[in-house]
Amino acid sequence: MSVSVRSTILSQFEQVAREQNRKLAPLSDDLVLMDSGLDSLCFAIVVARLEDALGFDPFGATEDARFPVTLGDFIAFYEDAAK
Amino acid sequence: MHNVIVTGGSRGLGLGMVRVLSSAGYNVIAIARQESAELAAVIQDSGRGPVHFRAFDLCDTPGIPGFVKALRREFGSFYGLVNNAGLGTGGLLASMPDAQIERLVRLNTVAPVILTKYVVRSMMADGGGRIVNVSSIVSFTGFSGLSVYSATKSSLVGFTRSLAREVGKVDITVNAVAPGFVDTEMTESLHSEQRAKIMRRSALGRLVAVEDVANAVEFLLSDKAKNITGTVLTVDAGSTA
Repeated sequence: MSVSVRSTILSQFEQVAREQNRKLAPLSDDLVLMDSGLDSLCFAIVVARLEDALGFDPFGATEDARFPVTLGDFIAFYEDAAK
Repeated sequence: MHNVIVTGGSRGLGLGMVRVLSSAGYNVIAIARQESAELAAVIQDSGRGPVHFRAFDLCDTPGIPGFVKALRREFGSFYGLVNNAGLGTGGLLASMPDAQIERLVRLNTVAPVILTKYVVRSMMADGGGRIVNVSSIVSFTGFSGLSVYSATKSSLVGFTRSLAREVGKVDITVNAVAPGFVDTEMTESLHSEQRAKIMRRSALGRLVAVEDVANAVEFLLSDKAKNITGTVLTVDAGSTA
């Protein structure tokens, strides 16, 4: 499950960057999301697409939805919600 | 066939929009608390596009995410959303019960904002869409006895303009229509004198019909309006001219 969550997230980052003409930084777990090349609109699209693909939205489910700082945090946030 | 959600689609303006949008070939999903006999008749005898009714009370804001998810599962992606549902409760502010004020704001402002949040996410995932918010000319002219209603309708104009800026890059347009006084159940409480005064003061000397407002909504949803966003289309027979 966790492998597919990770690969789904990474492919969405790449797809949205392409669609929005953004230059995506090399994806690694310690990449700070703010430095990834994606803006807040891109992240909103990523989250909406991930809800379609995975069937859940961890940001909608919590009251205190602080946005993860790194890509690794982002993936872990989704992997935890998938458990 | 494009899916278009119309809230408050069982009566008045919303019912007129359902009729016009069905004739224009949209797959129309009418949302209301209860189906009316008039809407049932439209569903039976719809135009080029089918009409569906789904019951939901928009005051149940915590239920909105699940409701939108269920609609998306059933109908697929959304092309359009028309935030039309609203209460027209009037009364002097000084004597309006607090609970009534909160109910007005909840249904006329909070509910469309939350509904739009979940529908626009789906539009963002799909790469485009159209949102039309139904405001009112009282949001810029003022009308004694409608201060809270006016506040909610003005809020939709601000919402329209800012959201248009937020989602323009993903090809979603957000506009508002501001109807003048239309002959519907909501305005039937106006005295005949008030009605006559409104007609007399309008540039065209008449009231607006439901179809006039529905046609404006259809235009904003159409391809002809693809480069119009963040604006308010006033349909008032020249009352505010």
